[in-house]
Amino acid sequence: MTRFTVLLALMALVVAALVVALPASASENHPTQAELEAMLICPSCHVPLDESNAPIAQQMKSFIAQRIAQGETRSQIIDELVGPPNNLGTAVLGVPRTHGFDLLAWLLPIGGIALGAVAIGAGAWKWSSGRDDPAPAALDSELDRRVDEELARFDG
Amino acid sequence: MRALRLTAAVAVLALLGLLVWDVAHSSGGKVARDVDKGQIVKAPTFNLPLVDGNSKLSLASLRGKVVVLNFWASDCVPCKQEQGELNRLAAKYSPQGVVFLGIDEIEVRSFAQHYLKHYKVPYQSVADGDGAIAGKYGVTGTPETFFIDRSGRAVPPHIVAQAQPSDVEAGIERALKA
Repeated sequence: MTRFTVLLALMALVVAALVVALPASASENHPTQAELEAMLICPSCHVPLDESNAPIAQQMKSFIAQRIAQGETRSQIIDELVGPPNNLGTAVLGVPRTHGFDLLAWLLPIGGIALGAVAIGAGAWKWSSGRDDPAPAALDSELDRRVDEELARFDG
Repeated sequence: MRALRLTAAVAVLALLGLLVWDVAHSSGGKVARDVDKGQIVKAPTFNLPLVDGNSKLSLASLRGKVVVLNFWASDCVPCKQEQGELNRLAAKYSPQGVVFLGIDEIEVRSFAQHYLKHYKVPYQSVADGDGAIAGKYGVTGTPETFFIDRSGRAVPPHIVAQAQPSDVEAGIERALKA
């Protein structure tokens, strides 16, 4: 691999990272009503906020609109719904948070899959290394002689 | 392989521990059920933020007083209908050391604050944002009213739906005598 190829690959990686990171950053700093309503759950009817007309869902929508108008970030708005001043709890989150105790919800399945993969790998390795291939059976002399005769016919 | 088995065993034990802890800490809303059967039971304690303040209020801090615990929400029509009578009764029984305490269930705080102001509620309310305390009391909707005696025990009756003044007064008298 030439230096040019390596440089090209690195540039592609940087561009890909920017393509993913820029919209995420924009969404964090300037969240939209629709985006937040899709991310949050109505705590009394347990459906996404944008599908609920329950009184608490309407209150949450109103709160979100007000906070967006005040220029708050996505994290700030979510934190204010989950914690003080509203204290609605983590039940309003569509997905678990990636910090604190909620991080376990992400780590445990990944850990479980990794452990399972290691267990399967270890089992497969043990199974394959413990199995001896049978030694090739020796040809009996009569068969050996006949094979030689047959092959001799093709020698021309 | 032995390490793997050990890890799996520890994981299973940890999950079982979590399950036992959860069951042990869940009252399963027995209070309403038991009080409805005429029993006197220990009222679940709580320490919740005040709706119109930054501090918290604990039920334990009201020990020695009779507490009328009213679960409400700002969008609940019967809550609005009973509010005037609750305000009146709170003023009437205050000299006897009876404390009315509202528990606002699962609401955005500003809506609850608006309700308190609009209905001129003269007593304090705390915010049960995630409904955990309502769950411990076995509350299934709003409004619901419980009566807690001076020892922190819930005494019958337990009023479901809009409270009639005579029922509230009967509950207070029962709690005062308990």
